[in-house]
Amino acid sequence: MQRRQFLMALAAGYGLLPGSAAAVDFAPVLAGRRLVFPDDFGAHPDFRTEWWYATGWLKRQDGRPLGFQITFFRVRTGIGESSASRFAPRQIMLAHAAIADPQLGRLRHGERAARVGFGHAGFTLGRSEVWIGDWRFAQQGDRYQASVRGEDFAYDLALQAAASPLLNGRDGFSTKAPDPRHASYYYSRPQLAVSGSVSLDGRAEAVTGHAWLDHEWSSELLPDGAQGWDWVGINLRDGGALMAFRLRDTSGNKLWAAASLRSTGKIDQIYKPDAVDFSPLRRWRSPRTGINYPVAWRLKIGDREFELNPLFDDQELDSRRSVGTVYWEGAIGVSENATPVGEGYLELAGYGEKIKVG
Amino acid sequence: MLEITSLSRSFNGRVALHSTSLKLNDGEYVAIVGESGVGKSTLLNLIAGLDRADQGSVVLDGDNLSELDEAALTRWRRNKLGFVFQAFHILPHLNLLQNVALPLWLQGDSGAAADDTARQMLEAVGLGERAASWPHELSGGELQRVAIARALVHRPRLVLADEPTGNLDPANATRVLALLGERIRAVGAIGILVTHSREAAATADRVLHLTPDGLQE
Amino acid sequence: MTLAPVFLGSLGRRRMATLFSLVAIVLGVALGMAVQAIHEAALNEFGRGVRVLAGESDLRVLGPASGFDETLYEQILQHPGVAHATPIVEVEAKLAGHEQPLRVLGIDIFTLARVAPRLLPQSQDKSDRFATLAEQSLFLSQAAQQAYGVKLGDELSVQDGSRALKLRIAGDLPGLADGQRLAVMDIASAQTAFGRIGKLSRIDLVVAKSSSPESLRRSLQGSLPAGVLLEAPEAASEQSGNLSRAYRVNLSMLAAIALLTGAFLVFSAQALSVVRRRSEFAFLRALGLDRATLIRWLLAEGALVGLIGGVIGVALGYGLAWAALQLLGGDLGAGYFSGLQPQLEFKPGLTALYVMLGLLAGLAGAAVPARQAADIAPAQALKSAGDALMIRNQRRPWAGLLALALSLAACFIPPLAGLPLGGYGAIAFLLAGSILLLPAAAHRLTQPLAERGTSVAWRLAAARLVSAPGYAVVAAAGVLTSVALAVAMAIMVASFRESVDEWLGQLLPADLYLRAGRAQSSAYLGEDLQAAIARSPGIKHLEFTRHDQLRLGEGRAPVALIARPLPADGSNLPLVGQPQFSTLPALWISEAMADQFGWQPGKVVALPLGGVAREFHVNGVWRDYSRQTGALMIDLAVYRKLTGDLRVNDAAISVDDPASSEQVASRLLALAAGDTLEVARPGEIRQISLRIFDRTFAVTYLLEAVAIVIGLAGVAASFASLAATRRKEFGMLRHLGVSRGQIGAMLALEGGLVASIGVFGGLLAGGGIGLILIEVVNRQSFHWSMDLHVPWGALLLFAGSLVTLAGLAAVLAGRQAMRQDAVLAVREDW
Repeated sequence: MQRRQFLMALAAGYGLLPGSAAAVDFAPVLAGRRLVFPDDFGAHPDFRTEWWYATGWLKRQDGRPLGFQITFFRVRTGIGESSASRFAPRQIMLAHAAIADPQLGRLRHGERAARVGFGHAGFTLGRSEVWIGDWRFAQQGDRYQASVRGEDFAYDLALQAAASPLLNGRDGFSTKAPDPRHASYYYSRPQLAVSGSVSLDGRAEAVTGHAWLDHEWSSELLPDGAQGWDWVGINLRDGGALMAFRLRDTSGNKLWAAASLRSTGKIDQIYKPDAVDFSPLRRWRSPRTGINYPVAWRLKIGDREFELNPLFDDQELDSRRSVGTVYWEGAIGVSENATPVGEGYLELAGYGEKIKVG
Repeated sequence: MLEITSLSRSFNGRVALHSTSLKLNDGEYVAIVGESGVGKSTLLNLIAGLDRADQGSVVLDGDNLSELDEAALTRWRRNKLGFVFQAFHILPHLNLLQNVALPLWLQGDSGAAADDTARQMLEAVGLGERAASWPHELSGGELQRVAIARALVHRPRLVLADEPTGNLDPANATRVLALLGERIRAVGAIGILVTHSREAAATADRVLHLTPDGLQE
Repeated sequence: MTLAPVFLGSLGRRRMATLFSLVAIVLGVALGMAVQAIHEAALNEFGRGVRVLAGESDLRVLGPASGFDETLYEQILQHPGVAHATPIVEVEAKLAGHEQPLRVLGIDIFTLARVAPRLLPQSQDKSDRFATLAEQSLFLSQAAQQAYGVKLGDELSVQDGSRALKLRIAGDLPGLADGQRLAVMDIASAQTAFGRIGKLSRIDLVVAKSSSPESLRRSLQGSLPAGVLLEAPEAASEQSGNLSRAYRVNLSMLAAIALLTGAFLVFSAQALSVVRRRSEFAFLRALGLDRATLIRWLLAEGALVGLIGGVIGVALGYGLAWAALQLLGGDLGAGYFSGLQPQLEFKPGLTALYVMLGLLAGLAGAAVPARQAADIAPAQALKSAGDALMIRNQRRPWAGLLALALSLAACFIPPLAGLPLGGYGAIAFLLAGSILLLPAAAHRLTQPLAERGTSVAWRLAAARLVSAPGYAVVAAAGVLTSVALAVAMAIMVASFRESVDEWLGQLLPADLYLRAGRAQSSAYLGEDLQAAIARSPGIKHLEFTRHDQLRLGEGRAPVALIARPLPADGSNLPLVGQPQFSTLPALWISEAMADQFGWQPGKVVALPLGGVAREFHVNGVWRDYSRQTGALMIDLAVYRKLTGDLRVNDAAISVDDPASSEQVASRLLALAAGDTLEVARPGEIRQISLRIFDRTFAVTYLLEAVAIVIGLAGVAASFASLAATRRKEFGMLRHLGVSRGQIGAMLALEGGLVASIGVFGGLLAGGGIGLILIEVVNRQSFHWSMDLHVPWGALLLFAGSLVTLAGLAAVLAGRQAMRQDAVLAVREDW
């Protein structure tokens, strides 16, 4: 499950739900509300959707790199709000995890979905804690623990934060379109130090690395006419961090864009749409789906120019059999003036067929 | 007395018997011999009332067969006739006594008296001790002796024997023929023996030859 | 093959006898094949359904029909041996305007995807991500849509209690097999819609790789509430298979009747043909044909008839099965596989088996005559004519008596694997014994007749039977077999019907019965409605009944629980035997409970009520014809105290004034909105029950009639072929002055006597088999007793008609042999 695609699905599908949608008041995302921590680390069940999304680079014992990703979605469905059943699907949790292994040349991935309740799946208020079965992402002070068991992989990673959250947009109010109705509350925690263990095909080994955490919640996110998006989160080697995204319309043009840049010793910088430019450098065609992904990019943020290159090309995630979507989500290396300056994660959505729901 | 006058019978235009006459007195025992196809069987059937003549008549003791209907003929046969067949025709599911008593039963006589009569008859043919035996326990000669007993038990006026020794060896044949003649004479019936065999015919009082032109001495 | 024309050609020369043998075998094979094919189809479909529903699950947690506490789900999820678990609420939903309830599963799509993905619903509205979670949305399988005549987007009105509830058909179940009638909805919606808040019906589990179903079962079983147990998913298939197996075996019994009749017809046709061809065989033997070859060829004659019969039979069987599936469904209307639309499949193995059965029937029929033919001494046979072969005394009373003793002993064999195999053995031995005793009986019975009669025809006919009982066996064995089995079925059915009738009278003493729907469906009468009924004027006496289903043990089918006001002495129950009393709460069990669980009056047993094991004293056993897996009856007040469940399923109402019962009924119906309530009158229920009963057995009667007609026709054909061999005998008798009428009378008497012996033997044997069917086969298959009711009038009429028909058949057969030219046959040269 990919977060933005999922949100888009929600946006497309929701109005068609008979009766129930209108009966539910989702909390609105308003400009000017300040994010308060630690409360805002926790879940916001009044809002329609929310996610915790961690990506990062790991170093194996022999020095080879791995990419990892874990995403937990919380969705308020608007269904069964007044039901007496403990099974009422008022809130559902969805989770998605992957390991990018250049050795294998493709992703290992797994997913989980459940309604909240019976201890099986849930979220916590006041701190980041979400789980579905034995998949869990939980905060303890400045430390996050991510545990995932997939079919052919598993990991148990501790993510240690050293700095305060990076508030995207206007103090965490992140608009997605010219109309401020389409907005979310959005903060990131870059430069998380990672330690823990990964097992691939049942063989466990200790790893270290660095990661990026996004936490975002909203009730009405995407504007009409959005076909897809490109997103990138980069931990810079100098201790800085860069987040940038753009939304594309059906013809592939920029609908909206934004970026946040943290540099050591400076105040976090927020960039307007016209200061952010994504231009593809190289494309890769998936042999499975035939989709053409721009896997290498030139990214201009203000006056800086980065080149993004994938850890390996085939980081396409095909979940058509379960969720019904195909996209590219992968580890990337970042260089500036032909010098490596950082590592991060790139997400390319909406390059295949028009997104289908369900 | 049996009086046969100008008896003729054709089948589909083919003459089987042509104007044959014969007159036999009580106690007379004759043999009829003739070539195959000369009409022996036809003659026998007409005498027994099993077939009707085109012309001529058969009269036994004043009963003219052509004047009797089917039911009356059956009754007539039942009372007046005795038969001995080449293939014996002893009923396998009746014992010897019952087989011999069968003609008496047919006359409505089924009590102990019938059994006595039948037993005497069996004794007369030398099988008195085997009254309770079953036909399949007997030899061919013995079976034919049973048949002779059956043919005579009800004291018929006329006994017809059709090749009675055809299925027997010479020794048995001689014994059976002697017995047949003796028994017929004993009850004073008229006897007609139809046969191929000159030896057999010789046991009768006289021998008649059936030819296409009729019976001749 | 060089001798084929000599032997197989003989079949063509006796066309009628061959045809009747063939028809009987065709009928037997077709019937057996049809029953088997229908059952296989239904079981397959049921099994396929179970597999789809079970998906990947290794174990399932099951409870009573009213469900168990949902907190158990939490406990199960936390167990380390459980990899995945999915909760299910199962409801037999009463649909307004439909008698057949709809099976609705309340599911959690998220966990279901890991356990049984083929059960996942598909929304018609592809753009709505959460359509499958939506409230009041129902996902209906193709078969269910067809069965209820609805399509996607329509609304279905289901009943919760006496309240009608509209559900939208929002999609279908694409993963289900074609024949499955099923609906799925979100578990929360199901709990809400059907008043099951806090309850689950099942939890399906996938066992963790680190554990095994056995160890998980061991560690979980102890911690489950009373009445909740763990079972392998295949158990449902097995239980259903077991349930209907007994039913199927009883139907196969009919097929066996026809097949046996066929074998006997082959036997008589062959036996008589062998007699007729005696000299032919002697001649062939004299020419150098060895004994073994002769036997082989004669067996080949029977085998050919059997093979052709088998092939035609299986084809006809598939046709019958197809028609029956179209008209009646996979259980022929017996209700074991409701909600299924089975598809007929061609089964090569099974088909071959039934062709083989036909072949075997033919071979078995030909075996004895072939041996006899081979025993003929050629010289003797060539010399003497007639039927000495049949004269041999075939009186072997000892073998017959031994078979009867074995039959009696077999009655005491307990059921094996739920099947009354001992009973079937007893029937087989009883039949064999009767046939072995037939020659002796024929001899004994006709001996006095032969001595006493005065008419020649009588004496000749009787003498023949006394001295040649072999004939009687040949001709009467087929009659005896078909009569015995038909009589047995008639006695059994009559006893069953009478008993059911009496039972209905005892169980339905009230004037009116009010209910919201079938006992185990989602319909019930709530407390308010109960109060309203009680307040309704014109009611003299009112009794409520509550139904549930309990699980009493692993691998056991659920047992019905009936709670109703009961007097201490159980005097309003159809009791069997003497009751016993104690101070514990009283429990009255059905005969099936006594048979399958070994419970007896005086025993103290624990019943899981409301998740807690409660002690009851078994007070007595009652007769129950409607719940084969067993039923328990307790007092309603006790039930309410122990469970807190105040709902009921139906109300039995006695009115003050019988003349006003219709007004009372219409007042009661008006108590709930819509057409959610039903009123039934005992007369109607009885009428409907007996009509269903009669319809079910109508097929039986028809098939019996066909079997008997074929049996008789076969006897006539035998007589015809026999009469031909007796032309010379008739001719000789005519010479001696026996009239045609007398020979006719003799033949009629022979036929009548043979048939009488067969019918008489058949009546005796049939009475015995009827008793075995009632006391052993039914008791062991269905676990219910019945009172013996012999339909004397019908049986006497039946026997008389058979004897007359047989005599007539014999005369007709002999007519040809009595023609004039036959008279002359006496002196034919040969």
